[in-house]
Amino acid sequence: MARLLETGVTRRRFLQVAGMGTAASVAVPGFLEACAQSASAPSTGSPKPATLSLYIAKDTARPQAQAQLMNMIKSKFEEENPGSSFTYDTYASAGEETTKLETSSAAQEGPDIFEFGSTLVPTAYATGSFEILTSDMWNHIGGKGIFFPPQLTMSGPSPDKLIAVPVSGNPWAMVHNKAMLQAAGISKVPTTWNDFIDAAKAMTNGTDQWGTAMAPADGFDPWHKIWLFVTQMGGQLMDSTGKKGLLDSNESVEACAFWLDWMAKYKIAARQDAAFKGADEVKAFATGKIAFSVMAGPGGMGTWDSSPVAGQYEYTLGPTVPYGMSSLPSGGKPAQGFVSGQYYTLFKYSKNQELALNLLKVVVSPEIQYQYFQLRKQQPVVLGTFNKYPELKQGNWAALYDAALKAYPTPFFSAWGPLEVELGKAINKMASQVGISGSYTMSDLKSALTQVNQELQATLG
Amino acid sequence: MSIKGAGLRIAVAAGMHAGGDSHRSPIRVPYWLLSPSLIPLTVVVFIPMAFAFYISLTGLNQNTIGDWTHAPFVGLKHYVDGLDPRGPLAPSFYSSIKASVVFSVATTLFILPIGVGAALLLNGHLRGRTFLRAVMLLPYIIPTFVNGILWRLVFMTNTGIADQIQAALHLGPRDTFWLIGPRSLWALIVADVWASWPFIYLMALAALQTIPADVYDAARIDGATTFRTFRRITLPLITPTLGLGIALSTINHFNNFALPYVMFGPTPPDEVNVMPLNIYVNSFITFNLGLGAAMSVVALVIMLAPAVIYLRAARIGDAD
Repeated sequence: MARLLETGVTRRRFLQVAGMGTAASVAVPGFLEACAQSASAPSTGSPKPATLSLYIAKDTARPQAQAQLMNMIKSKFEEENPGSSFTYDTYASAGEETTKLETSSAAQEGPDIFEFGSTLVPTAYATGSFEILTSDMWNHIGGKGIFFPPQLTMSGPSPDKLIAVPVSGNPWAMVHNKAMLQAAGISKVPTTWNDFIDAAKAMTNGTDQWGTAMAPADGFDPWHKIWLFVTQMGGQLMDSTGKKGLLDSNESVEACAFWLDWMAKYKIAARQDAAFKGADEVKAFATGKIAFSVMAGPGGMGTWDSSPVAGQYEYTLGPTVPYGMSSLPSGGKPAQGFVSGQYYTLFKYSKNQELALNLLKVVVSPEIQYQYFQLRKQQPVVLGTFNKYPELKQGNWAALYDAALKAYPTPFFSAWGPLEVELGKAINKMASQVGISGSYTMSDLKSALTQVNQELQATLG
Repeated sequence: MSIKGAGLRIAVAAGMHAGGDSHRSPIRVPYWLLSPSLIPLTVVVFIPMAFAFYISLTGLNQNTIGDWTHAPFVGLKHYVDGLDPRGPLAPSFYSSIKASVVFSVATTLFILPIGVGAALLLNGHLRGRTFLRAVMLLPYIIPTFVNGILWRLVFMTNTGIADQIQAALHLGPRDTFWLIGPRSLWALIVADVWASWPFIYLMALAALQTIPADVYDAARIDGATTFRTFRRITLPLITPTLGLGIALSTINHFNNFALPYVMFGPTPPDEVNVMPLNIYVNSFITFNLGLGAAMSVVALVIMLAPAVIYLRAARIGDAD
């Protein structure tokens, strides 16, 4: 103390500073603790009326139908929860979706409910910002048993750590132009890739009619296709720990080569496809330019039903036997699509979790689930809906129902996002080469995959 | 004594008189006067910059963002991964730096003569000058994302106007790729030149209007030709303003994110994978925020170059 006084600090000043410091050291942890506890855990009582906030994916194909559906949900929710309501914001791109996830996680503040696509759920789980749903919570909305079982495989890393409630499905299947197949004398839809290539060649004239199309410039299509081929060959894109990328494995190289060969070797897809995105492929099918669209979701139906191919297309399960083989290899899986769809998650720091559960209960009710189909042409995920509305398993929706049942989950790795981007970079580069020159070399392909795998590995740490 | 020097001395003198406090250094007064600007600048610029630098030293990603203050410290790992030529991220890092530098320099070089030419044209007596001056600004007013979509349509393979015109004039095939491969850089440059040349035009026009008419009259009486008048009078007098325009333009093009993103998406060809796009993908698509922050710091250092060059050049001729 004497030293302090020597340096010009008075006793009064010292006590002022010390007192403030002591008060802060007591008050700050208490304040932070209070903040942490303010996010109320769900109780059994009736929730306090409030206005929930939702952050959901924009239905760019049917924005009006989405608004109509949200109004229906709101009416039902307000009726069941007097005094409460909800508002919603939409995102139109993966970038917006992840940016909101990052900022909300970092600030521990954000919407009460987030909607995510299936492959982003692992990333959302990794942030630790979403409530792991307890048995009581599941029971509150009807129990896990009401859902299409494959959809729950993307809800969390294990059955006791689920964070995401499925709200709609997006099954993948193959769609073909019936008239084109008939004209080429093809009576049976191919179930092996050998048959697929033969059939596609038979329907290609090399100018304005092609067996199929590709969308290598798309943000998602490259990993969709490569995952499919690799899975059928018994390989993986990342090892079982999720810590090691396998983008340069033999299976990955073969899978990429097979896809690029649709343009380069078999010439069943136009070279112009090198610059295609997903929407371009949908358009090419709508104009009758291509016969097959592989791994197509139900989203294309909106375009096709008001195009020259209306009534002329049919969904079936896609080929499952790798090219050059007559049956699945050891370890190969008969995958023709992965578990895909939209999910609602409860933000951990929400103060209205119980009310949010009440909203989820409305969203997964068979009546609202049916409206997802009726208005937005999306597949419901609640089993009861299929029993109540038989049209959900009729026509093209029968094949899509089958596809959803047989879908394989992608690995629940938080680094799946970087993997998608890195694989897309390699495919984009190689497809450009094919588009411009008509060919590629295996050494270039291997080199591109080795490079992106190194980059992936660097981000995995 | 320059005006700037005189101003400073007056301010210092005023501080001495106003303060009258023998303990307060008179030289501090101008700094106090700067504080209304410095404090907001510190809050919105310097603190976030320091914070970005700190993040670049951490492994902040999807696994740690929920508790970001405890993200593991990784030191200079991201810088080494990117900048060491043997580092795993070096090819992507250097490719992005090259793409950004080429794109920003090339665009600036193209818009400079276009902007100055348009300004010279519209500075003279021309019928419909007011209308034309407004029309010239249209590309600059159109939102960048709209511009990106328009040019994406223009450069679509086979169906785009670029391929149609090229084929009609027998300059190349109808199925030329502009949105993938090496030509993608040209597509991006053309789109950005179209959108940004009015910036140089505005700067040049503003500078031209400050040149007194009697200077030109004197030149005319002395028998100077139009070219000589431009070279000896116009160009020297607008050069300081153009220098600023070039520096700002280079920085703006270097930082252009929206146009390449709309035209090429999150997985662009290497030729147009400019730094802002690469930083965005690393930070917001793959959640590698530490790496994204490190790339931002490197971009900031690169961007200091045109700013420093301009500031040094602007000092030339300052007698004080």
